[in-house]
Amino acid sequence: MDERVFIKDGIRLDGRRFDELRPIKMEVGVLSRADGSCYMEMGDNKVIAAVYGPREVHPRHLQEVNRAIIRYRYNMASFSVEERRRPGPDRRSYELSKVSREALEPVILTSYFPKSVIDIFVEVLQADAGTRTAGINAASVALADAGIPMRSLVSSCAAGKVDGQIVLDPMKDEDNFGQADMPIAITPTGEITLLQMDGMMTRDEFRQAIELAKKGCQEIYRIQRKVLIDRYSQFEDLQDEGSRR
Amino acid sequence: MSGTTDEVKDKQIGKALVLPGDRIGSAEEFVPGHDTYVSGGNIYASTTGVVDIDPESRLASVIPRSNALPRVENGDIVVGEVVDIKENLVILALAFKKGYESRPLPELDATIHISNVKSSYVKDLKQMFGLRDIVRAKVVDARQMRLSTEPEDMGVIKAYCSSCTTPLVKKDGRLECPECKRTEMRKLSTYYGTGLV
Repeated sequence: MDERVFIKDGIRLDGRRFDELRPIKMEVGVLSRADGSCYMEMGDNKVIAAVYGPREVHPRHLQEVNRAIIRYRYNMASFSVEERRRPGPDRRSYELSKVSREALEPVILTSYFPKSVIDIFVEVLQADAGTRTAGINAASVALADAGIPMRSLVSSCAAGKVDGQIVLDPMKDEDNFGQADMPIAITPTGEITLLQMDGMMTRDEFRQAIELAKKGCQEIYRIQRKVLIDRYSQFEDLQDEGSRR
Repeated sequence: MSGTTDEVKDKQIGKALVLPGDRIGSAEEFVPGHDTYVSGGNIYASTTGVVDIDPESRLASVIPRSNALPRVENGDIVVGEVVDIKENLVILALAFKKGYESRPLPELDATIHISNVKSSYVKDLKQMFGLRDIVRAKVVDARQMRLSTEPEDMGVIKAYCSSCTTPLVKKDGRLECPECKRTEMRKLSTYYGTGLV
């Protein structure tokens, strides 16, 4: 592990600096059957999120009388990693589904829809470290696309530690062979809805990592905003064109 | 004029989009309307859309631009299933609103009072509706979810035989069971059996 050099002259393996995100691509409304959807690329991560609902809860005993329940399914495609992954949920994806759901739950105004469910499906098509954060970003935009009332969007990204240096948005090699990885999700007002960590960090490094990840989230938030605004102002223009004709 | 009002005006004129979490104004200057929420004395948008401010009532709401959820309003046409028939009230479980067929109304119950079933006198509600019937109705009070089937095109659009549950067919203005030849009474919609809403 220690023989690997991750940082040379302040430049990382893929040519980024410490505080740089991987290139992001987002598209809203990619699925016609879902109520809301979003496709997202964060570097080599490719995820697609679909939102259905609010709709009837089945099985019935899961429903809550005073609010909507949220179901979040994080799933990795069998071809998303180097070695074929056995399809279906496993320990890891159950955990990620749970924490991702809890990252989005606080912003969704669930009390408007008693006895119903909002289903969020996140499929990872290609994985390169940081799929849960990409999933949350995509799901948050897909929820906005579905017109589900929310307090705000949620943005998510990770900070890690390689070669003793805190870096933003670690890619696969940095995550696998690095010293720590810490994904977070925050709202634009700075409330943290997800915070996980593996590996070791000192207190100072932890603070530094949070600050760095927050900065990354702000940048992602700007991109999320932009794609939503582009999508819907375009829609409006099209409508205007139609009425003029 | 305060800066926030100008800001809102700009948003109105420019038709700029607001996203969930964008501040519309303070709760002191406006009344929060639909697709907004109040937090810490401020009004924020809860969906993606365009801000609309009513100059009379100072009602600030957001007109959704994304795939909007169906909101039931007076005059809307809805379709539902009869789940209970009381002395002078029919209870429907609403399925969807006309025009929003792909977006179901989640777990919403509505009622039709005996006086809103049709324009003439109704002696027995059981002669007008049967359990599990599919009904097309108009919303007369969206707050209390009260419906009416008075117009010609409102009423039962699909019914089942009360003894053998076979779907009934319309024959010479009456409903007949193709299995057991039983005839039944309903407040029929002109849409009965057409498969249209």
